[in-house]
Amino acid sequence: MQDMTPVATRSNPASTARIAHHPIHPMLVPFPVVCFVGTLLTDLAYWKTAEMMWADFSAWLLFVGLIMGVLAAIAGLIDFLGNRLIRALAPAWFHMAGNAVVLVLAFFNALVHSRDAWTSVVPAGLALSALTVLVLLFTGWMGWTMVYRHRVGVGNYAPEV
Amino acid sequence: MRPRFDLWWRSGAGVAGLIAVLCLTGCNESAADPKTQIGANPDLPEQQQYLLPPMHVAPVVGWKSGETPAVADGLQIKALMTGLQHPRSLYVLPNGDILVVESKAPGTEPIKRPKDFIMKWVESWATSGGDTGESNRITLLRDADGDGVPELKSVFLDHLNSPFGVALVGNDLYVANTDAIVRYPYNPGDTKITAAGTTLTPLPGGPIDHHWTKSLVASEDGSRLYVGVGSNSNITENGIEAEKNRASIWEVDRATGRWRIFASGLRNPNGLSWEPQTHALWAVINERDEIGPNLVPDYLTSVKDGAFYGWPYSYFGQNVDPRVQPQRPDLVAKAIVPDYALSSHVAPLGLAFYTGTNLPASYRGGAFVGEHGSWNRPQLNGYKVVFVPFADGRPNGPAQDVVTAFLSPDNKSRGRPVGLAIDKSGDLLIADDVGNTVWRVAPSGR
Repeated sequence: MQDMTPVATRSNPASTARIAHHPIHPMLVPFPVVCFVGTLLTDLAYWKTAEMMWADFSAWLLFVGLIMGVLAAIAGLIDFLGNRLIRALAPAWFHMAGNAVVLVLAFFNALVHSRDAWTSVVPAGLALSALTVLVLLFTGWMGWTMVYRHRVGVGNYAPEV
Repeated sequence: MRPRFDLWWRSGAGVAGLIAVLCLTGCNESAADPKTQIGANPDLPEQQQYLLPPMHVAPVVGWKSGETPAVADGLQIKALMTGLQHPRSLYVLPNGDILVVESKAPGTEPIKRPKDFIMKWVESWATSGGDTGESNRITLLRDADGDGVPELKSVFLDHLNSPFGVALVGNDLYVANTDAIVRYPYNPGDTKITAAGTTLTPLPGGPIDHHWTKSLVASEDGSRLYVGVGSNSNITENGIEAEKNRASIWEVDRATGRWRIFASGLRNPNGLSWEPQTHALWAVINERDEIGPNLVPDYLTSVKDGAFYGWPYSYFGQNVDPRVQPQRPDLVAKAIVPDYALSSHVAPLGLAFYTGTNLPASYRGGAFVGEHGSWNRPQLNGYKVVFVPFADGRPNGPAQDVVTAFLSPDNKSRGRPVGLAIDKSGDLLIADDVGNTVWRVAPSGR
């Protein structure tokens, strides 16, 4: 294995909320993403079957997605506010604003899903679930841009040449 | 790149707009007068789909020493017995002894959704008054000299399973537990039953058991029993298969225990009683929640053999509920309109036709209704006993408040009326399950 040494010339935008140099935000972010995508799938299943089990799944997925989403947002916001280099990136602003919209949509979607039976999903719940996933695709893309192009939170290490 | 502050503004405006749009479906509250929803032709406003359904339960303060409910002119009220454990229904034996059914919910309803946590928490405010220790029993009260102070109080039957209805036919005493009708031997004058009961007919109890009170009445010739079996959900949110044989009134053959569904589409039927003039079966029904503060009116109705009253597919005839899928237009077409609306969310649980003679003559032949009180509307409704006058076996005129002030002036709950009965002297008895009291309403000046 090659020895890893710091790259002196250029510093990657560092994460502030981190454990042993590992940023917390990307550890948390899969939970709301999977929960909200899952909500769309279980909503579709309920729409097609009218089987209450699927609507119940949707309600739990939204509930857990919101809790984990808020935790991910806190970690992400600490990184955003903690580093001028991150704030200087346009994708960081799109990512944050888009995900704020996602959480607001999911919150109202959870309220809609607290109705009883059919109208807890069709049509408003299903529409909000689909809209949430569309916004997530955009904010996810922005997040990947931040990491894979701008190396946000990536350590300042490179193989020695 | 320069930070894009305008993006913040735009997304913020978008969120505000979204809230406004969503509120159009959930935030407008019409403040209709409950009086417009009493009688044969209630106002039925547009349905609402809530974002946050109103959960407004009167917090419990209980009765202070000397406090009583208020009564209409010509009447007086006194506590017959206090310190009971959640008394829900009453039955008067032929010798005048009063059975007080002390009962609590089976508590078998699972948490199926995040909403259920929150609902249970809010509902717990409503029953926090009084100790809910020993319950699920029947207490016998004997006031043989009629002075309003029982000489004897005895645990008549103990260790029951969320009992509600009681009916006596000859020497057979039937208790409707939440999961079965059970028969016990009874001899006039008994103050305690120690014999083991015999199950006549199992009833739909768990799983879930959302509406658990099983109201019971025997036919006048004693050959049949009628039992109310409430729905297992508000509006099928536990799945339609959970509603099998529920939301109906069963007719049970007393000799064999065989049963059939006598009438259906009755979300939560209670207070099964015989109208004294026509000898028809009547009941009070708790209708569905969460489609508006003024939907759907609870009602008092005669119950016709084989009739379908709408739940879950429709209400008051052909008003379709969009929350039920798949829909059943065939059943909606059959749904009949109930006789008499009591206004929305009043939660009628007690019904007693007045067959006595010592209350003022205006009460004769009419029906007293115990309204447990609302949770699903911003302004509290119910929390009182009303009287519906009858003529020729039909309701005749608006409901009158008879026993009120279960709510304090600041809308806290001193008690909540449930089951009703007429005692041997012709006084009205009221079970108060939050005040843990049985009240006796007598003519004034006695």
